[in-house]
Amino acid sequence: MTIAVCLKWINASGQTDVDDDRFMGFSYADQAALEYALRVAENTNDEVIVVTAGPVGAEAVLRDAIARGAHRAVRIDIDRSHDSATIAQAIAQVVAHCALIWCGDYSSDRGSGSVPAFIAAELSFAQALGLVEIQVPADSLHPIRALRRLDGGRREQLEIHGQAVISIEGSTARLRRASLKGSMAANKQAIDIVTVNQVAIETPPTRAYRPRARTIAAPVGSSALDRVKQITDTSSAKGHGETVHLEPREAAELIVNKLREWGYQS
Amino acid sequence: MTDTDIIVVGAGPAGSCAAIAAAKAGKRVVLIERGPFPGSKNMYGGVIYPRILDELIPDWFEHAPIQRWVVRRSTMLLSDTGAFNIDYRSNAWGQAPYNGATAYRPDFDNWLAQQAVAAGAELICSTTVTGLLRDAQGRIKGITTDRPDGDLTASVVIACDGVNSFIAKDAGLYKSVDASNYTLGVKETLSLPKSVIDERFGVRDNQGVDIEILGGTSGVNGGGFIYTNLDTIALGVVLKLPKLSAQKKRPEEIIAELKRHPAIAPLIEGAEVIEYSAHVIPEAGLDMMPKMVADGLLVAGDAAALCLAAGIWLEGVNFAMASGMYAGQSAAQAVTAGNTSASELQSYTKKLNETFVLKDHKKLRKIPHLVLSDRVQHKYPGFVTGIVERMFRVENPHPKPGVRRILREERKKAGISLMDLVRDALTGLKGFG
Amino acid sequence: MSLESLRAANNIERDNTWAEISFQERIDTAEFRIHERAHITVNGDSCRGCTTRECVVACPANLFVPTSDGGILFNYENCFECGTCYLVCNQAGAITWTYPEGGYGIVFHRT
Repeated sequence: MTIAVCLKWINASGQTDVDDDRFMGFSYADQAALEYALRVAENTNDEVIVVTAGPVGAEAVLRDAIARGAHRAVRIDIDRSHDSATIAQAIAQVVAHCALIWCGDYSSDRGSGSVPAFIAAELSFAQALGLVEIQVPADSLHPIRALRRLDGGRREQLEIHGQAVISIEGSTARLRRASLKGSMAANKQAIDIVTVNQVAIETPPTRAYRPRARTIAAPVGSSALDRVKQITDTSSAKGHGETVHLEPREAAELIVNKLREWGYQS
Repeated sequence: MTDTDIIVVGAGPAGSCAAIAAAKAGKRVVLIERGPFPGSKNMYGGVIYPRILDELIPDWFEHAPIQRWVVRRSTMLLSDTGAFNIDYRSNAWGQAPYNGATAYRPDFDNWLAQQAVAAGAELICSTTVTGLLRDAQGRIKGITTDRPDGDLTASVVIACDGVNSFIAKDAGLYKSVDASNYTLGVKETLSLPKSVIDERFGVRDNQGVDIEILGGTSGVNGGGFIYTNLDTIALGVVLKLPKLSAQKKRPEEIIAELKRHPAIAPLIEGAEVIEYSAHVIPEAGLDMMPKMVADGLLVAGDAAALCLAAGIWLEGVNFAMASGMYAGQSAAQAVTAGNTSASELQSYTKKLNETFVLKDHKKLRKIPHLVLSDRVQHKYPGFVTGIVERMFRVENPHPKPGVRRILREERKKAGISLMDLVRDALTGLKGFG
Repeated sequence: MSLESLRAANNIERDNTWAEISFQERIDTAEFRIHERAHITVNGDSCRGCTTRECVVACPANLFVPTSDGGILFNYENCFECGTCYLVCNQAGAITWTYPEGGYGIVFHRT
């Protein structure tokens, strides 16, 4: 099988607006993704392909990844000014045959972390996004287990079966160093180039971002003071909290209804 | 069978020229750089004189990423409040065949290393060389690096690993390492609009200015410099190490005082520090140079202390490029001959002796010491500015004093004996040839 | 030349002098890619016997900080890798100096 790692070519010096080949690299999150993909592939004997979208200078990160153990590299020759959905669409077409698609959860150049989700949506793959810990399976018979960060310090345990997009936070794994011989060989490795014309891009219509208005129910109370307090008082619990025990379907329905009632959804 | 013919350690001006020369001679060359890209570890106080590149890259002036061509060269003597300036301008220096240029080393060195890649050398960055591999006879046969599986063998190693050269030291080529042979250079890159720089320094387009300063280093032996880039000014000081620690003045304080000097402040007013940098310079010339050849090893550039710090001449990059080129050529010849012993590689030292690389150093052997001596550092700037101050101050109704009287009185005020003055003048005359 | 004497000599008011930046601002203008391994180590025991403390004055990155108990506190993170400290040090074995791992450490931009 083949597993893919998506690497974003960014300015490693932290200057987000400067594209200077000398200062470019890939983020800690992408480094962690590459490291975990290599660890998994070692145990499952999978092939690792690394993918980046960008100009010819971006091939440096692909060679770097090959020096560290990736087997093949593909550069999608595309203008990086495209939005995340378009870039994800292009990547999706290159990695559609892969069992797992590894990404950093978001890049350090103002990345929003949307590309992994877009890729999963494009390919109808399962998503395991924003992971903080990976248990690398001993062989291809066992699934990958992972921990996902939730609010309030909670963690969700995941088991990954079938085709999936995995995104991982930075600094969760230290990327291995390339061997000297590996670096020398990587300089000579051929890199596949996919041009944008080969990748059919469907640009979805975009419109300006306009947040939805939130309707808040009128406060109830006998006196005006009570009503004002109800809106402004922060010291007492306003209490949306309510404990119920329901089947998932009914629970979901209740949540949606409550959200609507509280004005979070129209 | 070795992994490659020639390993060059360090992709600075020496290393890249060594790699270009050896690759052009048809040898397999691996060029190893510890920074993420060539030039990322390099700074200087300076001007590049690239004419030596004519041999390796005939059209270098069309492609080299330089900032400005130096058309104004000033030597400035600073007292506490005065400044005596010798300024020469020649617009001819800004046209072919060109003379000196200012450049950012992360630009220039990276470009030069890419020329080595174009010539066929293999460039490996982000790799620190940690030591030398030797065979049973103690002959050098390669290097160890900090990468996994990081040993690499070759017929010749060329050490261009800079002023700290752990390779030359590891190979026992330095007799001793004495702090008094080194100076510390610290500099600020100061941002100003190009039009302001052009106006303040009296230049236009890509014409540039180079100002070397004696005095103004807060009592620490050394000197200062100002160079114009396109939209920045490089301003810094060079400080003799043992004196620096004795004076209890920190480097950035000395820069700050130089910037406040009434002759300097107006040049840089309103400029913002966009980068602070520091580097050590091998200052003592011939008197500190190591042996440059061992079995299977050559040393070039700063690693061989090939840096000329002779007061009015301050050159390093050209010496690095030349020595690197000659090292690359000698190494390639030795590989072709199938004999890379020290005696065969002596063709390198021979070449250095025949060319400006060592001829300039021999001629100017005494000058670095003279320039950094206490008298030149602490007495002469005040002496000279004192003379000029009085010569051009009109104190009517008093008549002008005679020049001889001014000389005598100023010499006494500065505390310089006639003997010392004559001695230094002779050393200078002899030294500068 | 002290700052005060300079001001007096030139009738410079304090407000007209060069606005110096703090050392932190100064060092922040340089890019350092910090590796987890310290490439320079300082043996505090050797420093206790040192009276000259040359490194404290000379290090251009101001990385050597004297401690109240007579030792030296050293930070490697903002090191220019220049070599000044081991050159000026007169206590044998006090400073162990190597370059950082390849690709890490100081990265100059416009120098």
